[in-house]
Amino acid sequence: MKSANVDEQVLYQAAAGWLKSAVDILQGAGVEVIAPVETDPGVVELAAVNSSDAVVTDYANVRLPLKQVFFPISEVLLEFDKQPDSDLDVKSEPVASSQEVVVIGARPCDVAALEALDKVFHWDYDDVRYSARRERTTLVTFACTSPDAHCFCTSVGGSPHNTAQSDVLVFLGADGQAQLQVCRDKGTRFIERLGDAVKRAPAGTTLPSPPEVAARFDSEKIKTWLDENFESDFWTDVSLKCLGCGACSFLCPTCHCFDIVDEANWRKGQRRRNWDCCSHPMFTKHASGHNPRPDQASRCRQRVMHKFKYFPERFEQLACVGCGRCTRACCVGQNLVGILTDIEARAKEGNDSDAE
Amino acid sequence: MNANTAITEPLQSAAADLLSEGKVAVVIGYGANGDSSLAHPEFVRKPEDAERLVFDERCFGNLAVYLSKDSIRQMGKIGIVVKGCDLRAINVLLREHVVKREDIVLIGVPCAGLGDPPLQKCSVCEQRNPEGCDILAGDPVEQPQVDAELRYKDAADLDAKSLEERWEYWRGQLSKCIRCYACRNVCPLCYCKRCITEKTIPQWIESSAHLRGNVAWNVARAFHLTGRCVNCGECERACPMDIPLGAINQKMAQLMNEWFDFQSGLSSEEKAPFTTFNADDPETGIL
Repeated sequence: MKSANVDEQVLYQAAAGWLKSAVDILQGAGVEVIAPVETDPGVVELAAVNSSDAVVTDYANVRLPLKQVFFPISEVLLEFDKQPDSDLDVKSEPVASSQEVVVIGARPCDVAALEALDKVFHWDYDDVRYSARRERTTLVTFACTSPDAHCFCTSVGGSPHNTAQSDVLVFLGADGQAQLQVCRDKGTRFIERLGDAVKRAPAGTTLPSPPEVAARFDSEKIKTWLDENFESDFWTDVSLKCLGCGACSFLCPTCHCFDIVDEANWRKGQRRRNWDCCSHPMFTKHASGHNPRPDQASRCRQRVMHKFKYFPERFEQLACVGCGRCTRACCVGQNLVGILTDIEARAKEGNDSDAE
Repeated sequence: MNANTAITEPLQSAAADLLSEGKVAVVIGYGANGDSSLAHPEFVRKPEDAERLVFDERCFGNLAVYLSKDSIRQMGKIGIVVKGCDLRAINVLLREHVVKREDIVLIGVPCAGLGDPPLQKCSVCEQRNPEGCDILAGDPVEQPQVDAELRYKDAADLDAKSLEERWEYWRGQLSKCIRCYACRNVCPLCYCKRCITEKTIPQWIESSAHLRGNVAWNVARAFHLTGRCVNCGECERACPMDIPLGAINQKMAQLMNEWFDFQSGLSSEEKAPFTTFNADDPETGIL
């Protein structure tokens, strides 16, 4: 966690009305602005905005995570056309345009999740579409002010004031004022653009303390238990109520599995990349009919193992930022923190019996 | 405290008896999840664990969905806690031969309504006291008279819109669909081992979350449930994108009622219109 005392070099103050100025200036410069807007009563989503009027600032988190800006729910990879009197014509869909994008108002957990996505999409293959979108986008994050009972960012290395992957972290104050902490180079450019709307914070300025998010478990202990318990009745018990819907994965800011499909008529069509989900039986079903994850127990296990064992082994970080969406969305009250604290308790029991 | 809470104790003792007498291998009911707004499905396999069961205004889930799951069926005979609305789904499972009556023990719970304020479906519920169960836990609750007009109110409200307005509304709603299939997986009557949306030779429904694919999926879902759906509202509750799926189901139920004088799930003996030939059937809607 960052110290509350921040070098004055990177801390700015903004008077009321800065958000309107920011959106107007960015719009004037031809930048696409994406911000939280209320799409249904009580529901806030990230969406392109034309003015600051629609931007919501008093919200817990957006419903669909920030990942959709870089890794859309469905995107065209290429188009193909085969007319009877011509050769097959294949057109690769261009990668994202170079138009600049500024996302104002994502939460620190969603932004930190991009660290996991960056590693996957730059791993054995540089995903040009993802990279182009990341490259052109500046992230002006709103520090979290209202974590709820399902939030657990502090248990997975985050914090309501986490600066990971943010270009600017904004602390909204009373009456529309704000403090802006520059975290990366793109953030400096954003601040420069704001001109008179912001000014350097005086030396000694302190940032507000983050709201309390209690630590719920120790992910190291969980990893140790997972290492030893691929085969365990725990997975059967914990998965009994799971209905195998994809709500948890689809709303997860770090889940990144996708399916590639062709959608076509007799002559032409598109190849698309769509979000997919390891809770669905079809996810691992082979053409032969064999399914290496034949039941919900093995699929539930995969979801936990991937986030807390395989991903850390491969990329040295967890694939969970503690946003709590999975638990809020679950229609049968499955609770990831509950699963993890159960695992931690089992890990401790194991240690106890060893000691005896 | 909700009137439902009084049922918790008789429910626990009924479940404990069934398990200790070996009449069932598992009781599917609801467990308390701290102060969560949702009581979760609970699977009790030992009499001493029956104390984990609760019944209150947070018991939203329709547990009938578990009756078609292999992981549950392989345990043996199932005792299941059923509200009146859930019983209607079980009646459909029985009439469609998905479940055999002798393989389940129905533990009926009178229900005064769920949620605070009560859900819309509860305000028009005509099955507060489930009938035909093996055991009834707790005392019956008062069954208010329900205005039949209100049963299909959401559908009627949408019907009042012009065709263009209605399409605009559904276009907006269905555009939100992310194809997570929570609506399908939570549905007690979506028990197909392989859903039509997963079939690829040929591909009937595009899996992409674009408007075309989303309309195809949601229309197929509604069609496959027409004359079967009991309006338990689980699909709408489960939808993480808050799509008002209940209104679609209500419209289908309203037409079934209007054309065939049929409400699904009122009895396991009922003759469902789509699986019964009747020379007097209206041919409305046949092009």
